[in-house]
Amino acid sequence: MKTAASLVALLLAPLAVAQQPELRWGTDPTGGAPFIMQDAAGNFTGFEFELAQHLATKIGRKAVLVDGTWANLPQQLTKSRDVEKGVDVVLNGYELKRDLCDQFGVSRAYFAYRMTLLARKDDASIRGWADLKGKSVGVLGGTVCHEYLRTRHPEADIQSNEDVANVMKLVADRRLPATVQDSPAAVYFQKEYPDLHAVAQADAPGYYVVYFRKGDTDLGRQLDAAIADGLRDGSLRRIYEKYGLWNADQEALVPLLDQPWPPPFEAAVGSPWPRLVRELFQAAGMTLVLAFASFPLAVGIGLSVAVGRVYGPRWLNPPLGVYVEVLRGTPLLLQLYVLFYLLPVWAAQLHPALGGLFSPLLCGILGLAVNYSAYEAENYRAGLLAVPKEQMEAALALGLTRWTAVRRVVVPQAVRIVLPPVTNDFIALFKDTSICSAIMITELTRKYNELYNFNRSLILELALITAGLYLLMSYPLGVLARYLERRLAGDGGGA
Amino acid sequence: MIQVSSVTKAFGPARVLDGVSLTVQVGEVTALVGPSGGGKSTLLRCLNGLERFDAGEVRVGGVTLHGGRMPKEADLVALRRRVGMVFQQFHLFPHLTALENVLSGPRHALGEKRESAEPRAVELLKRVGLGDKLYARPATLSGGQQQRVAIARALAVNPATILFDEPTSALDPQSSHEVLAVMCDLAAAGQTMIVVTHDMGFARQATTVHRMEAGRVVRSGQPADVL
Repeated sequence: MKTAASLVALLLAPLAVAQQPELRWGTDPTGGAPFIMQDAAGNFTGFEFELAQHLATKIGRKAVLVDGTWANLPQQLTKSRDVEKGVDVVLNGYELKRDLCDQFGVSRAYFAYRMTLLARKDDASIRGWADLKGKSVGVLGGTVCHEYLRTRHPEADIQSNEDVANVMKLVADRRLPATVQDSPAAVYFQKEYPDLHAVAQADAPGYYVVYFRKGDTDLGRQLDAAIADGLRDGSLRRIYEKYGLWNADQEALVPLLDQPWPPPFEAAVGSPWPRLVRELFQAAGMTLVLAFASFPLAVGIGLSVAVGRVYGPRWLNPPLGVYVEVLRGTPLLLQLYVLFYLLPVWAAQLHPALGGLFSPLLCGILGLAVNYSAYEAENYRAGLLAVPKEQMEAALALGLTRWTAVRRVVVPQAVRIVLPPVTNDFIALFKDTSICSAIMITELTRKYNELYNFNRSLILELALITAGLYLLMSYPLGVLARYLERRLAGDGGGA
Repeated sequence: MIQVSSVTKAFGPARVLDGVSLTVQVGEVTALVGPSGGGKSTLLRCLNGLERFDAGEVRVGGVTLHGGRMPKEADLVALRRRVGMVFQQFHLFPHLTALENVLSGPRHALGEKRESAEPRAVELLKRVGLGDKLYARPATLSGGQQQRVAIARALAVNPATILFDEPTSALDPQSSHEVLAVMCDLAAAGQTMIVVTHDMGFARQATTVHRMEAGRVVRSGQPADVL
């Protein structure tokens, strides 16, 4: 009888675990150390990962990690928790911000951070916030650090990036003078890059909080209680100390627990729209620069490659074929990474001055040009092959050299033949300029992402304006292309 | 003077040219006649290097092409500036106007400036009766008009000899008549011409006629003797 009962208990045990409610917490696992990272065995670790486990256990739930893109995590809270990748909470270094508090429920602060200015130890020109005038400063785009720099230090040249580790590396590699990061990242990366040091910190701390749906008040109360207990009984301290993150700011979280929460925000000043629209237009300007600088290059390189393949010496064809296949067979994003993050390091090993040549804009233009040159090469190859061979014979019979015949007779006809697909590619490139945000270029899509991070109540309006700007820019391109097609078709008589 | 000595060319087992020899004197109009597939057009294409041949020799002015050898580009260019060509299907450059087509040789082969070459190009187009079509694109012209532009284009580089490859075969009788009139006018002016033709009316006015069959010249002589 006793064995039967324990057998039943044994059978029910897994069921009980399965029935334990989940705490689905949204995070961006690529967001970086020390928030969440993977150890050598591939297991997740990081102070927020441990915190999530701790809080979930405290409230009698099972922590389930749901991965997303950092900037889009709060959007997951606007959907049901039952959809794919649905979440209960967002817990990923999200700061206490007015726009998010307006939209979502917010927990007590679980961590106090300070914005930290990092520079190289051997760079004597940066000793404090006052030294940033005209200097390039890397930040994670759309974060509080970004907003802090924009409002408090507009004299700095802000370079926004999507990845903390990349920005740190650029500073360590002498390609950026400084960066502003939240203190956890600053502490962690000083270990990884010993040449960097913290030059200055913000006067006041900021707070990381957990966001949840406004209606989940019970969950909110439970989380608040778990955070308060954890701060008072030292369990959060034990987690944070593992990562070297416990300090006086965290101690000061305890007395805050008795204050009303969230604390009142500063009153907003005026309408944000003039600035938002101005910034979107500026970013659209960058999109235009990228597209109009890179596409002519892509066409030039592509046409040369095509002519080389069709009319060049036979030995030239295999290497040019490899060029085309490699470039169109690998993602543009990867090519930009190589161009911006890897190539300069190799170049600097050849000669230190070479490393400094690879500015984001130059890499963006070159990357787009080289990537699209592969597609254009195939377009033009098709065009060259579509010109009847008798055209070449007629030109040769006039006494033109082969090269002059290619240049004066075959190429002009090929260019006309492939104008529609080439136009198509221009419009595609136009939109692909957004991939350049991966190498610190703030073009339209990137700017939209940054702005909505701070203006989540305006997300729809911002999206519509951004889409409108793209259309405004690409539609005239289509019109221009059709005009060129008609003009160059050559069957209209006259001019 | 053009001298062809024992030129042989085979496409696989088929001998398209089988030891062809002939001579064309300055100022002569030479007609090549005979059944289709007899090697007339291939011979013509060998004369300006568009077609290579296996054995024999072609001498044009100071340039000699040898059978079985890859000619140098400089030799080919020199040869082609002496020997112009008019094709059965015209092969005008479709992206250029009639005037630009005629200018393409002087400008891109001889390196003349547009301004200095243009008056003569206009004059040539007037001479073939197309003074009113200077700025027309080929696609808007009739076949006969296109062929006359092609003749003006060939004349524009002042070749010593012009080769005509069945210049009227693709044309209706009216267009054909217009083109032949231009050719007769050229012949009367002393232009050296070699013409592959099925038009017996024109062949009768030639200085010399060669009849080709199966890759050989089977009869040569004055029109009355050969036709």
